[in-house]
Amino acid sequence: MRDGASPLARAAGAAPALALFLAVALAWEFGVRLFDVPAFLLPPPTAILAEMAGSSELLLRNLGATMLAAVLGFLIGTGFAVLLAIVFLYSRAAERALFPWAITIKTIPVIAIAPLLTIWLGYGLAPKVAIAAIICFFPTLVNAVKGLRTVDAQALEFMQVLGASRAQTFRHARLYAALPYVFAAAKISSSMAVIGAIVAEFTGANTGIGTLIVTAGYQMDATMLFAAIITSSLATIALFYLVTLAEKACLFWPEARIDV
Amino acid sequence: MNAGSARPLDPALGKAAAPPVIEIDGVSVRFDSAQGPVDALSDINLGIAAGSFTSIIGRSGCGKSTLLRAITGLIRPTSGSVQVQGQSSADYQRTRRFGFVFQGDSLFPWKTAAGNVEMPMEVVQGMPRAARRKRAEELLRLVRLDGFEDHYPAQLSGGMRQRVSIARALSYEPEILMMDEPFGALDEFTRREMHDEVIRIWRSRPLTVLFVTHSLSEALYLSDRIVVMAPRPGRVKAVIEVETPRPLDPSARTSAAYLRQMTELEALLDA
Ligand SMILES: Nc1ncnc2c1ncn2[C@@H]1O[C@H](COP(=O)(O)OP(=O)(O)OP(=O)(O)O)[C@@H](O)[C@H]1O
Ligand SMILES: [Mg+2]
Repeated sequence: MRDGASPLARAAGAAPALALFLAVALAWEFGVRLFDVPAFLLPPPTAILAEMAGSSELLLRNLGATMLAAVLGFLIGTGFAVLLAIVFLYSRAAERALFPWAITIKTIPVIAIAPLLTIWLGYGLAPKVAIAAIICFFPTLVNAVKGLRTVDAQALEFMQVLGASRAQTFRHARLYAALPYVFAAAKISSSMAVIGAIVAEFTGANTGIGTLIVTAGYQMDATMLFAAIITSSLATIALFYLVTLAEKACLFWPEARIDV
Repeated sequence: MNAGSARPLDPALGKAAAPPVIEIDGVSVRFDSAQGPVDALSDINLGIAAGSFTSIIGRSGCGKSTLLRAITGLIRPTSGSVQVQGQSSADYQRTRRFGFVFQGDSLFPWKTAAGNVEMPMEVVQGMPRAARRKRAEELLRLVRLDGFEDHYPAQLSGGMRQRVSIARALSYEPEILMMDEPFGALDEFTRREMHDEVIRIWRSRPLTVLFVTHSLSEALYLSDRIVVMAPRPGRVKAVIEVETPRPLDPSARTSAAYLRQMTELEALLDA
């Protein structure tokens, strides 16, 4: 129902959330000033905004490095997961052999392997992309495996009656059946990819929001910390929105979207 | 139990004018489930004459859908054999295709009405896009759905979706059409309209129809023969020749002969 609403109605729908947000910001601003909270503990929102404006060049440069890793990792992780799901669809043996490995990968805490990947892949882009990809991989794999198999049994029987090849059945049926599931996973993993990239930057990187956060942390620069956090959040929201746009374009038929 | 022998429950075998296009010989289907084996079909013997309209009626679970699946080769009979035009279903499938209207919905939600009807033409015949579209429009007109070509299944009513299924089944010009309760979701009015529609389609081309239904009056109105099935195990109880098939006249539903056959059928189903 939400999609059909006019922009005005949607703005009206967002009003309560916006009002609450403003109220919190105002309370924060005046609370900090009223109780004289030192800036290194909790800077007022205006100071954070000023920092973001003043260091915009620094923030954007580091954000670029982080988001590049996040997006690349997201694409690689998602793409690899979908490919593997297709392999599983046609080879039970591959599924039995590889699925335990996939689950094992899932149980490894990424923070624990981040330093290892830095040792193996160096201080550049590669370890960040790897972490982001690993994070995106599992939820998409599980959903894609499920989605590819959700085609209605009678629709599959109809393809069989037609004598359709595997490729034809895939192109006309399974692909579309899987898309809603893949997108449901992609929406979640797109934001997790950014977190993955930042975590990778904690353990060793030259640039990125993660390095900014580590440096600001050493310097007890709360204002910079907040500026970095807010900048990466905004970028994450933008990425999520892009994925949602892609979803809208790909899930063109009614009632396609699922909530997982 | 050879193919030629007429069985007591099947007096019509061999009596039809045309040679049988489908010969079902001692077909049994057993499903193994966790609750133990289910005899969905037990020793079915039937001959279906080319160009005939045969209805299959019987209680829910008596194996009607299973019989259609066994004929089309979607499931392999546990024993017995099915011959279609003198070949096994699998061999028949190599060159020809069965038309199939499934019980319930089997349209692709991501394809429009026209897209769903076009799909078999692409898969089976590799027909080019423009020709496909033109033919899909013709077929949708045939089932009275002109103007709904670009609607998705979710935007159509249950009865409209079933009519798309019928257009889709006809799109690749099958000689044999299986219809599994195609009008289950229709109200009585649309249902009667569709009956005359189906008869019109059946008359307009060389088509053998196997039609599963729960409705006695539907079976009587449409078919040359009615196969009455009984459950546990799924078997043929009787085969009835319809005295006045396809009257194309609603008042025929109240004629003496019609009502007599109706009573006969009800007695068979209750027995
Ligand atoms: N794939 C299957 N696995 C196990 N049992 C099955 C399967 N398909 C059908 N059966 C069983 O076979 C029997 C006949 O089923 P079938 O679907 O042919 O009945 P039907 O006459 O078409 O019923 P309805 O009128 O309700 O559609 C039922 O008892 C059913 O439980
Ligand atoms: Mg059935």
